Amino acid sequence: MTLTATRPDRTPSSPRPVRSRSILLTSSLAIAVAAVLLPFYWLIIAATHSSKEIFDSPPPLLPGGHLMDNLSTLESSARFSDVIVNSLLITVIYTIAAGAICTLAGYGFAKFRFRGSSALFGLLMLGLVIPTQVTLIPLFKMMVDLEWLGTYQAVITPNLALPFGIFLMRQSMAALPDELIDSARMDGCGEFRLFLKVVLPPMKPALAALAIFLFLFQWNDFIWPLVVLRDAGEFTIPVALASLQGLDQTDYGALLTGTALAAIPMALVFLALQRHFVSGLLAGAVKE
Amino acid sequence: MDASPLNQPPPDDPPQGGLDRRRLLALGGSLLAAGAATSLLGACSVTGATKAGSLGDPDRAAITVWSWQGPAAAMKALVPAFEAQHPGIDVTVQDIGNPAIWDKITTAMAAGGQGLADVLHIGVDYLPAYTEKFPDGLADLGPLGADRYRDAFADGMWQTVTRKGKVNALPWEANSAGFYYRADLFEAAGVDGEALVTWDDAIDAGKKIKKKTGVHLLGIDKPASQPDAANFFQMLLQLQGTFYFDAEGRITLGSPEAVTAMTLIKEMNDAGLVSDLAGGWTALENSIKSGTAAVLPWPTWFGSIIEGLVPKESGKWKVRLPPAVKPGGTTAATVNSTHLAVAGSSMHQAAAWAFVEYVLTRPASQEAIYRTEGIAPALLQAYEAPVFHEPSKFFSGQHKGEIFLNALKARSPAVNYSADYARALKTVDDAQTQVLLKGADPARALHNAADQLARQTGRELAS
Amino acid sequence: MTTTTTPDSILKAAGAARPAAAPRPTARILRRQAVPYLFVLPALVLLAVFKLYPIGSSFLMSLYENVNGTQKFVGAGNYTRAMDDPLLWTALKNTAIILVVQVPVMLALAVGIAVALNSTLLRGRAFFRLGFFLPTVTGLVAYGIIFAVLLNTQYGLVNWLLGLVGIGEVPWLTDPLWARISLGLALTWHYTGYNAVIFLARLQSLPAELYDAAAVDGASAWQSFRHVTLPGLRPALLLTTVLSTIGTLQLFDEPYVLTGGGPDNATLTIGVYLYQNAFKYFDFGYASAVAYILTVLIGILGIVQFRLLGEKS
Repeated sequence: MTLTATRPDRTPSSPRPVRSRSILLTSSLAIAVAAVLLPFYWLIIAATHSSKEIFDSPPPLLPGGHLMDNLSTLESSARFSDVIVNSLLITVIYTIAAGAICTLAGYGFAKFRFRGSSALFGLLMLGLVIPTQVTLIPLFKMMVDLEWLGTYQAVITPNLALPFGIFLMRQSMAALPDELIDSARMDGCGEFRLFLKVVLPPMKPALAALAIFLFLFQWNDFIWPLVVLRDAGEFTIPVALASLQGLDQTDYGALLTGTALAAIPMALVFLALQRHFVSGLLAGAVKE
Repeated sequence: MDASPLNQPPPDDPPQGGLDRRRLLALGGSLLAAGAATSLLGACSVTGATKAGSLGDPDRAAITVWSWQGPAAAMKALVPAFEAQHPGIDVTVQDIGNPAIWDKITTAMAAGGQGLADVLHIGVDYLPAYTEKFPDGLADLGPLGADRYRDAFADGMWQTVTRKGKVNALPWEANSAGFYYRADLFEAAGVDGEALVTWDDAIDAGKKIKKKTGVHLLGIDKPASQPDAANFFQMLLQLQGTFYFDAEGRITLGSPEAVTAMTLIKEMNDAGLVSDLAGGWTALENSIKSGTAAVLPWPTWFGSIIEGLVPKESGKWKVRLPPAVKPGGTTAATVNSTHLAVAGSSMHQAAAWAFVEYVLTRPASQEAIYRTEGIAPALLQAYEAPVFHEPSKFFSGQHKGEIFLNALKARSPAVNYSADYARALKTVDDAQTQVLLKGADPARALHNAADQLARQTGRELAS
Repeated sequence: MTTTTTPDSILKAAGAARPAAAPRPTARILRRQAVPYLFVLPALVLLAVFKLYPIGSSFLMSLYENVNGTQKFVGAGNYTRAMDDPLLWTALKNTAIILVVQVPVMLALAVGIAVALNSTLLRGRAFFRLGFFLPTVTGLVAYGIIFAVLLNTQYGLVNWLLGLVGIGEVPWLTDPLWARISLGLALTWHYTGYNAVIFLARLQSLPAELYDAAAVDGASAWQSFRHVTLPGLRPALLLTTVLSTIGTLQLFDEPYVLTGGGPDNATLTIGVYLYQNAFKYFDFGYASAVAYILTVLIGILGIVQFRLLGEKS
């Protein structure tokens, strides 16, 4: 089907089929993406309506005039400008630190066999598998004992060695030919230098994916920041947005506006990082 | 070995992946070892005794309050006046949001009570579970001076907030069952809404209204997309003086009263009088805006919701207490309440109590809260304020406040929510869905629900 | 681990580790042996500190029951209770259906989308990539609101749009079967882009030469997909399959916000049931037992998947 795409047209019979295939591919994907983005379109529209209009029947499909009201509610009830800074700070620190830790560990598990490696990897997988609902309370107790409640290290630290991230990097590092590493090693390259200069460069797409996922994880994480953060001024975006919910008087307009705004930094990060997914085949892993 | 990487076969690489049997065994072994080691480490944690709090200095403290939205705003508004009266106490009200607040309180309670705010806003659906499962989680307000307010609140409330002589909280909001109806539709069908004595009368009226106007009698969230889908059923139980549990905590889901209530609902549904509110709150709002139901059997707080949603229908609405289930039966029921409690781990319990007392027992505080947030007080003395006795233009000039006040003053049997309320609610929701969507027999569905609940909770069935 | 004597070719075929290089001085060997530990050390320390205790503690919790506020040791009581719990079996069945039906469809879609998004033929690649990825960004609360508005039977946007083309009301969330379908659609909407990104990253490391060789051999588009792309995606397939399995068995967000597990438990998942037991019913012991049963199930499935996808066929 779309496979031809991944293969350079070395033997083009003529330029025209390529162009018509390009149009066909682009337009069929456009239909798919339109369906995927319909809920988003509605989210943005909803952000411009008041809580009452949002649930009109049929739901509003054109922009309304309440964006400014929603923004001011968001600022006054959820301290949105503070909160967005908190979220950015936490997420950026987390992404960098967790990215480094997961990449190092992923490389260790992918390219070395050492005593206890499978046992340790098993432990890692256990960490991935245990539902967070049951580890939440003991972990919270740890935060109490460490006197970390209400601090950002309580939000960031417990998830730094994210099993998912390590697993992702382990699987990605596997693509790296052992010859590449071995020959560098025989040239007398130090292990850490080898990691930085030989292993990481071809891993850029995987690192970009890892960064996207880590950023997404921390950006959207709700229950853990909810239980460990204590002051409205230090909340993250999801926690602050949840505070807009009441028993009978949720401000849906402000809530959806906040959701739409919260998607923007994440979208920018994605756009910046997806550039490392170089199209076509210009960036084979093993090309030096 | 030194083959150029470019000639590699497709990276088919499981050097990493290939888990052979030996590695799996090692994996399993490590899991066991990890489990054993940490079980030892954590041995003392399960029993997790609550670290006791202390009274602290009643005049000098910084206290934190957890609540949500409207009530949080109401308390924030009271803080300046409170701090002026208690210059040494610094109050911070945190708006956590609802339902988020329950996850936050539950986590801290289960972890031994540390990390809670000093003052907690807790609904009746959670309070009994917290006090039963975490007996030291909340401070005893009795020694702090709560006992003198024993008779200050609406009937039944004191039983709700006390357990085995311990005062776990003070009541704040108390809502009575209500019956809001479109007087214009009733009139068009030639029915007098005020004359309905029983729910059987209401069903007859509903049939006439449906025939004349095409409007349903009422709406129910049939697939139970929200846990409160059984609100109406629960009210019908309370109007018969029963609930999901009796005073001894035995399960009464299969009682004749419960079967009567579910049968009434089935009868309405079979007659085509029940619109589907699938989707919960949003569907309810939509249904009100598009006028698909003539009756909203909702409690006190719901009046202002209707006013807010359909301001143009002012004068078309009326409100009364719900009809009885049986002739001569009660029409008054306190269907839900919220409370302020002080955390057992709080180091400033005296100061926290001072704030609770200020908010909940001063009529002026409660009147101010009612004016801004429409929260109906459990504090009876608060009702002396004129605001509760003004005629309501929206509700056709009726004295809405007085109608509900009469319900609060009436004998209202205490309801035992028990620690297993949430579980009971879930099984009731499922039973109701079976009846409404699958045509199940009410008695059989309820008996199954009662059996299931008994198995899950280890509680006895009331005979 | 075992190395040295095996001929190179067999090693490659078996995908085992490479033999150690020529003998070296002891000190260097020691240092080399320490190397892997240094790479995994930061992660291991963090895991040991922040995972071991919660995991052990929650396992211990699964042996206790809260009786009127005191923890009573019940041994395997919570586990035997689980065996006898019809709701848990319902949840398992629902979860299994999602696992068998929704996950393969989603992963196949994700592979297709990733290949398309990687194509030089596609115009506006960045836009399309973002478009497919955006659904993963929506937070839990808003996700619930959006789908409630879209899928409401009487007032929803989707039924309104269907009405315009003459299709009657679909009971998206109110009929047991449709609720399952809606849940599957919502999951697919949410996570296809997520998996596509993993595949997209992986596609970057497939050497162009393989496609060139295939082209020279006159392979059709399908043939080179079948023989070059798919084998190359294998580690990513293992990763996404394992992650989707874990994600499905722990599935919570979507049923929680869309249906609450209803109607009549048609969309109750183990994740939702676990949450209800822990945070609604305060039955932490039982919730922990369910969690460990879940863990064993995931472990078994994971091992099967590693065997099926992790090794050469």
